[in-house]
Amino acid sequence: MDSIQIQQDNQFINDLESAFHDESDLTNWKLFRMAYQAANVTKRPSFRGLQALEYLPHLDFLDHQLQAAEQVIETMHGRAILADEVGLGKTIEAGLVLKEYMVRGLVKKALILVPASLVNQWEKELNDKFLIPAIAHRKNYSWEDNPIIISSIDSAKRSPHREAILDLDYDFILVDEAHKLKNEQTKNYQFVQGLKKKYCLLLTATPVQNKLLELFNLVSLLKPGHLGNYKSFTEKYGKNRKKMEQDPYLKKLVQQVMVRNTRKDTSLNNSKRKIHTIWTSLPDSYEKVYQQLMALSFGMASFAKITYLREFCSSREACFTSLVKLGAHENAAAIQEIVENIEQLEQHPKAEKLVEQIKSLDGEKVIVFTEYRATQYYLQWYLQQHGISSVPFRGGFKRGKKDWMKQLFKDHAQVLIATEAGGEGINLQFCHHLINYDLPWNPMRLEQRIGRIHRFGQESDVHIYNLVTKQTIEEHILSMLYEKIDLFENVIGHLDAILAELKVGSMEKEIESIYQESTSAGEVRIKLDNLTSVINQTNMEYDREEQYKDGTAH
Amino acid sequence: MEQHIDLSDFLTNYFETKQCTILSREQGQIHIQLTEEMDKELMNRPFYWHYIKKIGREGEPQTLRLITDKEKTNEPGEWIHFGSPRLHQIINKLIEKERYTRLFEQVRTSENTPLYPWLVVNIKISYLGVQHKDEIFSVGLQLLHGHMTSNMMDFLENMTLDRSISDYCYTLTPMITPKSGFLRIQNLLRQHVQNQDNAWAVTSIKQLETEKATLKHFYEDELDHPRYLEELEALEKRFKPRITFQVINGGIFYLTASSN
Repeated sequence: MDSIQIQQDNQFINDLESAFHDESDLTNWKLFRMAYQAANVTKRPSFRGLQALEYLPHLDFLDHQLQAAEQVIETMHGRAILADEVGLGKTIEAGLVLKEYMVRGLVKKALILVPASLVNQWEKELNDKFLIPAIAHRKNYSWEDNPIIISSIDSAKRSPHREAILDLDYDFILVDEAHKLKNEQTKNYQFVQGLKKKYCLLLTATPVQNKLLELFNLVSLLKPGHLGNYKSFTEKYGKNRKKMEQDPYLKKLVQQVMVRNTRKDTSLNNSKRKIHTIWTSLPDSYEKVYQQLMALSFGMASFAKITYLREFCSSREACFTSLVKLGAHENAAAIQEIVENIEQLEQHPKAEKLVEQIKSLDGEKVIVFTEYRATQYYLQWYLQQHGISSVPFRGGFKRGKKDWMKQLFKDHAQVLIATEAGGEGINLQFCHHLINYDLPWNPMRLEQRIGRIHRFGQESDVHIYNLVTKQTIEEHILSMLYEKIDLFENVIGHLDAILAELKVGSMEKEIESIYQESTSAGEVRIKLDNLTSVINQTNMEYDREEQYKDGTAH
Repeated sequence: MEQHIDLSDFLTNYFETKQCTILSREQGQIHIQLTEEMDKELMNRPFYWHYIKKIGREGEPQTLRLITDKEKTNEPGEWIHFGSPRLHQIINKLIEKERYTRLFEQVRTSENTPLYPWLVVNIKISYLGVQHKDEIFSVGLQLLHGHMTSNMMDFLENMTLDRSISDYCYTLTPMITPKSGFLRIQNLLRQHVQNQDNAWAVTSIKQLETEKATLKHFYEDELDHPRYLEELEALEKRFKPRITFQVINGGIFYLTASSN
């Protein structure tokens, strides 16, 4: 203990004595007590654990997110690469780390460098979720006076910003999409390297572990020397070796600075997903309207048509609402006719199937997901008509209402009807059945839905039922997309890596544009086919790689 | 000791005690008319005050609208919460300004009553290294007989204390000077620190050495590289174990015999 420097506060007592000479330096009991309280609130009570959680009661973190943040702070000491797969919440982990350091008073000045297109999203996320008053940099904002700034790297590295930034001492630097910093010759790299920083997070979703020199460059930003210097590194590993996995020692070194959660690690293996498809078909009256909607498209963007078709497969109400909203367009007469036809329709075939399915569960709890608010209302009414109790749930509910609904569902209702799974939703592990009343086109959203019940700590198998209408766009999506690439069980873990490799930005957009740019159903089929087979092939490569890894890494 | 505070109460209290007017206080929102002094403290506009003074006019202190309820943040005003710069500014001001005091226990009496002098010191001990934690002690030392007690603030909590002495009361002169009293308190806390498990420091030193060696290896041939020196400094900041004593505040309290 002798070697540790103890810095005492010897000055205090002298200052106190001189304060007695001037009454105005003395404070009253109320303020004296408040200062003491303030010090108590901001103190850090123990070496371990995240203090920020107390300040973020409205957020519900997943276990791997908490572990990641703890690992970054406690074993990586605030310098790390966060390389989770897309959708597992890197932003959440990074926000939590930043918040923690701020709560402890260790970070006052931070710079957050993200792609220009994500600046606003980061601003919103940090402010809304983490209560971190970060601002997006705008013209003439002072780099010095604003404590937490979000900026694109491209504008930050330009003069005169560059000089102003490099002049400052930052407590915390975050770089999103950090795989773009792989080349040490680039201006971006040199800029980030030149920043004066205490803590530093690099976020990337693209697996960097397969390109060794790029990995070396990234790690050298965080911890120069951790992988040796350029000379020793290239001597040891060569310039062209590709796989980190081939070298267990290197892998271990990298793991000391990198957190990488994959879906595979995060979902528990001892409980399984059982996927069931429940088919229905449109009765004639419905079929007639469906065909009318199909015919409607002329003059309208074809994607809009697809939206109506999807809505129609979900409920009369969903389609009705948005058709009416269309109002007096050029197709007004045609739309009016469809609207009138919709009004004549009997109960939706899928709703009937839904009741059947719920009744077959013998009172077991079930969550029903739909994409549409109108469908949610309709189903709630329809279930009630059949003596089934349900509660609604939406992402937009306030925290208190969410908890209340969850409690109602747990204690009183058999069914929870939800429109949105996303974000800081709630944990519904006590439920083992999930019905996709309609399927989202974004597989990540599907994963989030399932994640409500299939997550850490779930011990029972979970049953996923997909309600699909034959010979409609729903069947198309199910067979073209979900089944072919085995999305429910298999591919999702690699999906982001695959999409990145294929340079596909978002699955949903890709499918939209396929529909939009195709002139016939046949063309759609061929394009979707191509997409799925490319995905499948890339997935197989990943699988092979993983088997190889499992065989050698340990 | 875990302490939670109600932010809304805390802020209202603070601004009231600082002589500011609370214009309104509804659920989750406080609207405050600042005094000139508080405007200068909090609003960070020295040029305005400088200018106003130059032209010999009365300045107009600003009002401050604080929102403590997250649900209300779409309304005009400044959202205040843990981690927000404004709250930290206020907390820092409190800790910076409300440091010294001299207080008297209030007694209703018609007899001559002696008050005993106590030195009260609230002190934060921080253990800084790879990991970090704080301890806060509130120590009271009676300056007549040298009786010492911890949790002094809890003890004072139930008393009425004021800047002026009650009628018929008189203060006793300390036998122990505040200076040597303070020394006693610091020594006691030093002893406490030395009795602590120092594993955290050992880990920190080890970590620092490893990190330094790693860094050195990277800059092998250019150990005078400015970035090497910067990184080295950053390492010391993050890892070098040290303990700091920081007095939060303190003062002399005159208390009745019954409190001894």
